[in-house]
Amino acid sequence: MAIGKGITAALAGLVFTLGSGVTTAADSINFVSWGGSTQDAQKEAWANVFSKSSGINVVQDGPTDYGKLKAMVESGNVQWDVVDVEADFALRAAKEGLLEPLDFKTIDRTKIDPRFVSDHGVGSFFFSFVLGYNKDKLKGHDPETWSSLFDTKTYPGKRALYKWASPGVLELALLADGVTPDKLYPLDLDRAFKKLDTIKKDIVWWGGGAQSQQLLASGEASLGMFWNGRIYALQQDAAPVGVSWKQNLVMADMLVVPKGSKNKEAAMKFLANASSEKGQADFSNLTAYAPVNVDSVKRLDSALASNLPTAHVADQVTLNFAYWADHGSEIATRWNEWLVK
Amino acid sequence: MAGQVSSSVIGSRQGDAHSVTAAPPANERSLRWRGFSNLLPALAFLSIFFLLPLVALLLRGILEPTPGLGNYAQLFANSAYVRVLANTFSVAGLVTLISLLLGFPLAWAITLVPRGWGRWLLNIVLLSMWTSLLARSYSWLVLLQSSGVINKLLMALGIIDQPLEMVHNLSGVVIGMSYIMIPFVVLPLQATMAAIDPMVLQAGSICGASQWTNFYRVFLPLCRPGLFSGGLMVFVMSLGYYVTPSLLGGAQNMMLPEFIIQQVQSFLNWGLASAAAALLIAITLVLFYFYLKLQPESPVGNAR
Repeated sequence: MAIGKGITAALAGLVFTLGSGVTTAADSINFVSWGGSTQDAQKEAWANVFSKSSGINVVQDGPTDYGKLKAMVESGNVQWDVVDVEADFALRAAKEGLLEPLDFKTIDRTKIDPRFVSDHGVGSFFFSFVLGYNKDKLKGHDPETWSSLFDTKTYPGKRALYKWASPGVLELALLADGVTPDKLYPLDLDRAFKKLDTIKKDIVWWGGGAQSQQLLASGEASLGMFWNGRIYALQQDAAPVGVSWKQNLVMADMLVVPKGSKNKEAAMKFLANASSEKGQADFSNLTAYAPVNVDSVKRLDSALASNLPTAHVADQVTLNFAYWADHGSEIATRWNEWLVK
Repeated sequence: MAGQVSSSVIGSRQGDAHSVTAAPPANERSLRWRGFSNLLPALAFLSIFFLLPLVALLLRGILEPTPGLGNYAQLFANSAYVRVLANTFSVAGLVTLISLLLGFPLAWAITLVPRGWGRWLLNIVLLSMWTSLLARSYSWLVLLQSSGVINKLLMALGIIDQPLEMVHNLSGVVIGMSYIMIPFVVLPLQATMAAIDPMVLQAGSICGASQWTNFYRVFLPLCRPGLFSGGLMVFVMSLGYYVTPSLLGGAQNMMLPEFIIQQVQSFLNWGLASAAAALLIAITLVLFYFYLKLQPESPVGNAR
């Protein structure tokens, strides 16, 4: 075991040393996110502001790759200082010992929505899975609840669902089947898959945001679950797309510091800045993702504010990241089994 | 032996005879290994960057999370994984078959048309390989989806009432991948065809072979090396394909590469991922062995 790990670690280390070029310590940190417009906004709202005030240079890198993160930590040659990851991964990685504990003397924990902060991660932003639909396709029938997804008579056409075994799909199937939000966890997998069986042939799966937009805007899918920011962007482009916030499912990204980061202190300062009232509000105004800092809400653009999950808390359901961190792997096995059946 | 015989008959030339009979093996061997040192950089590169990581990867399959064959047991015990494996091979098989069927006439056309035109055709085939894989896969999505160009055209012409489901399923994957793989069939096949002496075919028909007999009994066997190497290349490449299947396929047609990526990136379950990878390598090697058995004159085989 030790030998195998040693060899892989050494090789991984070698590869990363070769690949990462030279960055000087102390006055520079590497920030890693998913690329695209999200990372552009993170650069503008957080990195540029932070560099100006602290003199610490923020190098943008990416995309986030959990496998790479693990390889770096194992090899001891950690090139990434702050990484944007999904909330359930942040909890799982902490348990596997891949993350540094955060320094809450530097980061103000009190202002962060407690759903989105843990000992090893602070919220990057949060968003909701919402019910989106193509108005041209459904002609006057506006779906309202997740159960509409399972009513193929009233709402004909394909359903677009998120393809990975991650929080969302199973929960909405259970909600549609009549489970109350407080009884969702532990997930009744048999019941969820049985419910999904009823529409299995009508599902098209999307793996990323751009793909989901393409499916809905083109009418390839009549309705489905979508990230709220992607629906908002479609509506801004005047696509015939409607949205229902009933039982919107909250999911979050977290910022974490990989174990062994060489610029830990600078990374903590960066996190303090990113999770601050201003940092979160600026980022939200650029992206239509919601801020994790409770004070940021008052700084949101008035036109945008009503399109964020922060304005739809009434019957909001927050997905249980901790449950997924514990059971994600076994759920994935069931998930794959069901998919290829 | 021959040396001894000759020495007893013509004693005076014993030395000469001996050197003549003994020399070829020694000579051949030194010829074979001459220039071997030039290979060292390539060998060192391959061992450090290919062989060692591969061994480390395979080790993970039996060492993580606990030493033993648990990962393999998990792979075989779960019918879903077996189905993923079967999916992988049936897609690769279908893609190989279709690329061969479509690539064969194309390669023949390139060989037959006047030289200048042939080069143009070949360039067009090559050009498609230089375009981004992602862009080409997305283009197929635009063409094939139910609100796509092909479906709209067919519906406007009144040929179909309901859009055909050509994407997010097996047919999408096979169409997209066959398109991408055709050049890999055409290139070796065209090289083989260009080397065939047209006189052989003429001789065939002069001897009274009908067109079909000539094709099946003379032409096709001569094309065999190209067909085999093109087919093998496409099959092995298809086994490891990720981008196109994940874009054009449905979730129920999951192939092994996608499964491996899921385990590596999302679940950090490297033991299981490496077991799956090892399985893929093992099965590919077995197929390769049979291929060499069937096709001794292949470019990688022991040519004589």
